[in-house]
Amino acid sequence: MSSPDTPVRAPSGEPTAGEEPPRRWRPELVLALVVLALGVLVIVGTLNVSAAASQLGIGPRFFPTLVGGAMIVIGVFYVIDVLRGGQGDPEESEDVDAGAPADWRSVALVSGIFLAFVTVLNVVGWIIGSALLFFGLSVVLGAGHKVRAAVVGVVLGLVTYLLFVKGLGVTLPAGWLRGVL
Amino acid sequence: MDSLQLLIDGFGAALTPVNLLYALVGVTLGTLVGVLPGIGPAMTVALLLPITFTVPPASAFIMFAGIYYGGMYGGSTTSILLNTPGESSSMITALEGNKMARRGRAAQALATAAIGSFVAGTIATALLVVAAPAVVAFAISFGPEDYFALAILAFTAVSAVLSRSLVRGLASLGLGLVIGLIGIDQQTGQARLTMGVPQLLDGIDVVIVAVGLFALGEALYVASRLRHSTPEVVPVGRAWMGRADWARSWKPWLRGTALGFPFGALPGGGAEIPTFLSYAAEKKLARGTAREEYGKGAIEGVAGPEAANNASAAGTLVPLLTLGLPTSATAAILLAAFQQYGLQPGPQLFDHNPALVWGMIASLFIGNTMLLVLNLPLAPLWARVLRIPRPYLYAGIVVFAALGVYALNGTVVDLVVLYVLGLLGFAMRRFGLPVAPAVIGMILGPMAEIQLRRALAIGAGDVSVLVKSPVAVVLLLLALGALLTPLVRKLAVRRELAPTVIHEED
Repeated sequence: MSSPDTPVRAPSGEPTAGEEPPRRWRPELVLALVVLALGVLVIVGTLNVSAAASQLGIGPRFFPTLVGGAMIVIGVFYVIDVLRGGQGDPEESEDVDAGAPADWRSVALVSGIFLAFVTVLNVVGWIIGSALLFFGLSVVLGAGHKVRAAVVGVVLGLVTYLLFVKGLGVTLPAGWLRGVL
Repeated sequence: MDSLQLLIDGFGAALTPVNLLYALVGVTLGTLVGVLPGIGPAMTVALLLPITFTVPPASAFIMFAGIYYGGMYGGSTTSILLNTPGESSSMITALEGNKMARRGRAAQALATAAIGSFVAGTIATALLVVAAPAVVAFAISFGPEDYFALAILAFTAVSAVLSRSLVRGLASLGLGLVIGLIGIDQQTGQARLTMGVPQLLDGIDVVIVAVGLFALGEALYVASRLRHSTPEVVPVGRAWMGRADWARSWKPWLRGTALGFPFGALPGGGAEIPTFLSYAAEKKLARGTAREEYGKGAIEGVAGPEAANNASAAGTLVPLLTLGLPTSATAAILLAAFQQYGLQPGPQLFDHNPALVWGMIASLFIGNTMLLVLNLPLAPLWARVLRIPRPYLYAGIVVFAALGVYALNGTVVDLVVLYVLGLLGFAMRRFGLPVAPAVIGMILGPMAEIQLRRALAIGAGDVSVLVKSPVAVVLLLLALGALLTPLVRKLAVRRELAPTVIHEED
């Protein structure tokens, strides 16, 4: 691993997203520290795995130690790279405005709605749960026509339930509508 | 020829009415989901994987082959008709394709993409038929140290090639390796990194990782930076092209195929590099009208890269089927599909399950033909799919992600894991970590561990056993070379700031 600390930048004039002046504190540092911490966690977390020493020292701890060690090395280089102002290319996608500032409110709302869905799914069942999930997410993501979003959500919940449970034999929770369908 | 006979048997298995129906469902679903903006081939395959669980293996793989080719195909329609940059492998097609579309030549751009994909896919699948038995014959003598070296090569190549920043590629790989460690050690039955959660004893299912990193990660990323302008879709009728377009297309198709197939088969090769090389080659070779049109919508710039894209999809199947080595994220998910059925791709698969393997290869030919028939007249329909309102699209992606993950084990714990992985996928997208190394690390990591332990057990703990065979030495040297490539490239860029239109997809 010879100095992977500065990313190779394209000489072309294509605009890279987020041309901010280099700062000490950058959110990416969190991810780099997570990589570093995971390396430590893997080594510490497998310390208590009692290795069956019969296999000439190549027990269940050997590979995790390798991975953990590699993660620590990578994590250190990654932290250095972020501190020196290195950047990756944020992923491009058809519906992403790479130059736009991050909309944290939407991310938090999407997260909240998804976790709420996870919490109530087994109680209310798939049809109601997924309809609410769809409705909530589409409104957060900017669906103008709320009634239409609700109708689409209910239809989607019903159709997926009938198709997957009745048609393909997949198990989904019935919840409040148990006995109705 | 022996393999020809097996292929004919494969056609016999794939051509039953039921399996033809599965192939048709596969290509249709694959194209439909692949056309959706924001969904690349890997996510298409990951999202549709749960559907195949209720189907017997032979039919499931026939359906899967259709989904794979259909998903590859769908992406090109998106990039031609939609005026926004997409995922990297179809971005090159968009360069000329979208300009053609806006000059009123959308039908021709789609036609050369469809026919080129058919030509390239058919030739490349034929090459797969020839190459696979040869690789199997060679790989049958591989020992565990060779497989371990192969895995190391795949790890380093995919991390070094797919990201502009080597450290980010490696970080992604490491994250995948750590995820792959979670669960019971297969050889000793010891629980590792489960943090006391009993549901983690079986490890984290590949479907959850793929759907989390790709689908939920994408949805969160889009939520953070949604393009609020309405998407501009170029209207199009039935895809067709005239005699002049045929004359200009057939050579780029063949050249694209020649570039795409070998790159697809290489670890870390993928579709990005051959599509770019094909684009650059066609640009260099352009004469007359083509030269004037290049940069404004030349058909050669669509025909070549599209052929390269599809040929690389078939090339990817060579190491996947013969060695069990995934060279792209999509291939890693296909490998996971095999594992769901308790099958391990590799030389033994050709021995033990010839009917399944050759049935799948035969269905690649069938699926390719279906795609051609389906896509030329259906172009207007796909154009309408592109107009789907984005809030509905991404809300729907999350609903289907939740459905697929819940259906695996029927537990909400998996949905919590899905969310955590979604957050990770979001962070990786935001900071430019490629997702493919993580998926490959997660799937190939446990296999690399088994081979490493097997090799060291055979060598009685002597580490030099890993470099005992010449094959392993060559593979490890190539892996080292892959790690040094970004450095060499950096030096080369520094020396001559060559003004290229687009930089290599690194």
